[in-house]
Amino acid sequence: MASVRKSKGESLLIRYLILGSWAVFCLTPVLWFLTIGLRPRVEIITPTPIYWPTFSLEAWTMLWRDWPMARYLMNSVAAIFGSVVIDLILAIPAAYSLARYEYKGRDDIGFYILSTRMMAPAIVAIPIFFLFRNLGLLDSVWALMLIYAAINLSIVTWIIRSYMIDIPKELEDAARTDGAGDLRILWEIIVPAILPGIITAAVIAMIFAINEFLFTLLIASTPNAYTMSVALANFTGGSDGVIYNAIALVSWLAFLPVFIVVLLIQNHLSRGLTMGAVKG
Amino acid sequence: MARIQLNNIQKRWGEVYGVRDVNIDIADEEFLVLLGPSGCGKTTTMRMIAGLEHPSEGEVIMDGEIMNDVDARDRDVAMVFQGYALYPNMSIYENIRFPLRMRNVPKEEQDARIRRAADMVEMGEYLDRKPGALSGGQRQRAALARAVVRSPQVFLMDEPLSNLDAKLRQAMRIQIKQLQRQLKITSVYVTHDQIEAMTLADRIVVMDRGSVQQIGTPDEIYSDPANTFVAGFIGAPPMNIIDGKIENGTFISNGVKVPGVEITHTGPCKLGIRPEDCSVSTKNSRAHLDGEVYGVEPTGDITYLTVKLGELDFEVKANRTYRAELGSSVNVAFNTDHLYFFSADNGERLR
Repeated sequence: MASVRKSKGESLLIRYLILGSWAVFCLTPVLWFLTIGLRPRVEIITPTPIYWPTFSLEAWTMLWRDWPMARYLMNSVAAIFGSVVIDLILAIPAAYSLARYEYKGRDDIGFYILSTRMMAPAIVAIPIFFLFRNLGLLDSVWALMLIYAAINLSIVTWIIRSYMIDIPKELEDAARTDGAGDLRILWEIIVPAILPGIITAAVIAMIFAINEFLFTLLIASTPNAYTMSVALANFTGGSDGVIYNAIALVSWLAFLPVFIVVLLIQNHLSRGLTMGAVKG
Repeated sequence: MARIQLNNIQKRWGEVYGVRDVNIDIADEEFLVLLGPSGCGKTTTMRMIAGLEHPSEGEVIMDGEIMNDVDARDRDVAMVFQGYALYPNMSIYENIRFPLRMRNVPKEEQDARIRRAADMVEMGEYLDRKPGALSGGQRQRAALARAVVRSPQVFLMDEPLSNLDAKLRQAMRIQIKQLQRQLKITSVYVTHDQIEAMTLADRIVVMDRGSVQQIGTPDEIYSDPANTFVAGFIGAPPMNIIDGKIENGTFISNGVKVPGVEITHTGPCKLGIRPEDCSVSTKNSRAHLDGEVYGVEPTGDITYLTVKLGELDFEVKANRTYRAELGSSVNVAFNTDHLYFFSADNGERLR
């Protein structure tokens, strides 16, 4: 008995070792970036490696003192969360229609929606610029919200649709005989049942949105609408040259909002990524 | 409560017929079972009663009112599904409450009704649980409670017991029958299990390939089958069907000879005889069948004997003490009061 327990303990140790090394491997770039951000500028551009760099808040203080970093961060967070909310409001009913209603051309419409994602974004960059200029929405967070939402809508719709298809149809039949209409079924039965899937789609949309650069650069021309991803570009040129430690810190700050969101909802997320929502 | 009439119901998907020319008149408070193999149209027929499927032709009438264009949620019909279909994110209490909420039952009334329905199926202590934390039997009872809680006009059950193990199934069968008798709700029950059909039904509708084969009480279905399909579907093991012919009042087939046939038909036909109407005979002269022992399966209370008759496996329910060497020859006598003859062409009963 004792030996059984011991071997079980050993296998647990090995499991932790393997998972731990994987975690370290994945986290290395993140931590390395942090160390770059927190060392003085001269220690970054030396030709010989420095294993124990001096700790310095030089870049950190410079960021907050010389740049409207809080504004950038706010813009990013607002544009991203706003776009995800728009996506979910539009994608959930659309996905339900694609998953459940039967009408002519349904699958074609579904594929058309997905195909909008296949186009190189640069193709529509100029028309989008004129469109937003005519709408008077240049250099505004609202415009970014709409653009991010448009970019991600197709993929969010498709992810949610695939979760909806997995829901047993019996569930809806039951709700219908119980006296529920389509909207009731959607909000009270379907959405709660595939919540992990919806959260998964939302997180993926967030990651895409925070990384968006091209359209943000096009729309944003002042700190009014600059986001973290565009703010990064501020440190790559100009009279000061490339400011690596600032870049590292800004990247790190850009990574934080999504990281925090994922931490908060990781239970739902892992269920959504691994399971086909509900069975039996 | 409700009388349901199905008049010439058809369901087509393009060229494919799911259900054709179904006529059933279900009396108020009746327990009707739709029985047939999978794909026979029984579930589609039930879904048309529920309003989840629209008939391509024909009428669904409830209490004299044509319901074809009435949506499922406006028919006063409750349904229990094979996969339970409990709402996974809601507790059992919320599940049972859902139909009351949808039909705007006053809040004050809800709680008492939910508890009464749950107690009826002995689920009173599980009201706080989520469906995921219950066993299959408990889930199905919860689904029953959700169906009965609003006292519907019609109670539909689509293979509700087929995901349960054999012992539980028997217990639930009795519970369902009790429930239906107490509540006096017109009920339609779909199954492919003939035992469920025989034990539960007031009347059975046997279906095959979209068409009704026979409607009758369990006794009629068992002792007076309309055709070879019904004869072969009811009974375990099912009725033996032997191809042969009648000449001068004697049925003759390979290894089988039954004199004194009471029907006037001559020429090719099929003879049906149930395994329980056969007995192993020691005297050659009284036997109707000579064959070879192919299988002997003692089960304790009965011994199943399989006799090889050319291509045909002939089943006999023999005495529980009966034993025989495989391959030895055996004589079987038929109870001639229970012989059935069917047309060789279409399998219809010859009378």
